[in-house]
Amino acid sequence: MSAVADRPAKAARPPQPSKARTTVGMLLVAVVVIFAVSQIDARWERLPELVTVLPRYVGLMLEGIIQNPFTEPASRYWSSAIDYTLESLQMAWIGTLIGAVISFPISFLAARNTAPLAVVLVVRQILNAIRAVPELILAIALMMPIFGFGPLAGALALGVGAVGTLGKLSSEAIEGIDPGPVEAATAVGASKLQVLRWGVLPQALPEMVAFWLYRFEINIRASAILGVLGAGGVGAILKQLFDKREWERIGVTLLVIIVVTIIIDQISAAVRHRIISGAGGRSRRQERRTETEGLMA
Amino acid sequence: MSLVADVSTPAGRPRKPPPSPALLIGLAVVLAITLWAGLSIEFTLAPLFTDLTRGKVIIDQFLRPEWDFLLRPAVAAAFLETLYIAILASLGGCILALLLAMLASKVSAPNTLVYRITRGVLSLVRSLPDVAYGLLFVAVLGTGALPGVLALIMFNIGVAAKLTGETIDSIDPGPVEAVEAAGGNRLQRARWAIFPQVAPNYLSYCFYVFELNIRASLVLGIVGAGGIGTLLYTLLARFEYSQVSAIVVLLFVVVFILDQLSRALRRRLS
Repeated sequence: MSAVADRPAKAARPPQPSKARTTVGMLLVAVVVIFAVSQIDARWERLPELVTVLPRYVGLMLEGIIQNPFTEPASRYWSSAIDYTLESLQMAWIGTLIGAVISFPISFLAARNTAPLAVVLVVRQILNAIRAVPELILAIALMMPIFGFGPLAGALALGVGAVGTLGKLSSEAIEGIDPGPVEAATAVGASKLQVLRWGVLPQALPEMVAFWLYRFEINIRASAILGVLGAGGVGAILKQLFDKREWERIGVTLLVIIVVTIIIDQISAAVRHRIISGAGGRSRRQERRTETEGLMA
Repeated sequence: MSLVADVSTPAGRPRKPPPSPALLIGLAVVLAITLWAGLSIEFTLAPLFTDLTRGKVIIDQFLRPEWDFLLRPAVAAAFLETLYIAILASLGGCILALLLAMLASKVSAPNTLVYRITRGVLSLVRSLPDVAYGLLFVAVLGTGALPGVLALIMFNIGVAAKLTGETIDSIDPGPVEAVEAAGGNRLQRARWAIFPQVAPNYLSYCFYVFELNIRASLVLGIVGAGGIGTLLYTLLARFEYSQVSAIVVLLFVVVFILDQLSRALRRRLS
């Protein structure tokens, strides 16, 4: 009895590490949150309406979806929802392409192993500046005045906006390459351009293409935002429908967006998987790292 | 001599492998989509040369920001509202995201059914853009900060749960097995074996989400969900581009400072 009591005695346990930092952090968060709640004019009393009103609207949306899609007016709802979603996709695709084409040469100038340090520092700052400007502002301030309303202005805004993140991620992919092939190419007397083409590019390209695909997924969502401002695409029709509260049509449109986005995400994930683990035989861990970076671009 | 000559002749080289059919098909598909998309949105850069002056009036106003405008109390109030919305939405979104991420990873989900359902729900949540949530909650609850907070919570769940789920998938199984061997239940396993391993990454995702929220507030305000975007949209409708420009510059500075802060914090965490 006493032996058992002796063995797990408190003195034998190592002392618990201090929790002071966690506690202070938690308290700080609590103070900030309480302050925000007390200051914000959110009219919380409306919150219960979510339970009472939202189900009714969701019901209306579902009614729109289950109507026979081959009769009027449901057929028109479906075809316009699909048309506008496709327009968003086109905007996102062209935007991504513009971003990829512009960022491709820039990324070599922003990588320490392919450009002199002075150039790298300047180019990186430019990329950071582009990254800080939301696409929305690019669209309003630059593209729409010149290119007018419509998907073209949206695509260009997405494209220029993508240069910042794509340039940064691609340059990091270049910096992460194995120096072996570069040294081999230099040793056999390759010119600077040949070193880039045969020593650097084959190693960095799979990751770069994966980042382009991520950007495409992000741009699909961003194109909806630009649409609300008049840059065409599904955002434009969504805003109109919500203004007129045509819930049945909203239901159809949201469903089309969800289905198309999920399909594209799946295709993009499959292609990325093939490119990253197929080409270089990289580990799942590396793929996951690329994925996290791409998502947080 | 003859040896050297042999090697340098083309015949002595190994034949270049033919390009793989998958690559050719892939390139053809990319080309086809590009043509289709480019033609459909009527892609042209011509306005850059012909209509550059059309935008000149607006761009000129943008280049002369009306700094005095920033001193008005309405601007400070709108910025603070954006900040409060972002704080509350990040908190709500990240807490929900952690719970959902636990259910959406094979490591921590109680069974395959829960895992599959949660995955499905998360990809559904992720597939709608933030602006769609904004429009939805504004239509249901009316304009103001509340629909903004709710829309951002949905948006944050999509981002943070995905990232956290990926992190949970790749944890070291050792501690999980240790807790199981010591007879810990599911909750204890999540609390003592999984959470400590993902906590640094999870916190850094939370800061990242907070950054995103400040940016997203622009968009959400435009659909009536409160914050600086609402003010911006009013000014745009009145064609007050000099005032818009001043706000954009201020927002740029605020986002930049928060970015640096959150980056520094994230670096310390991971």
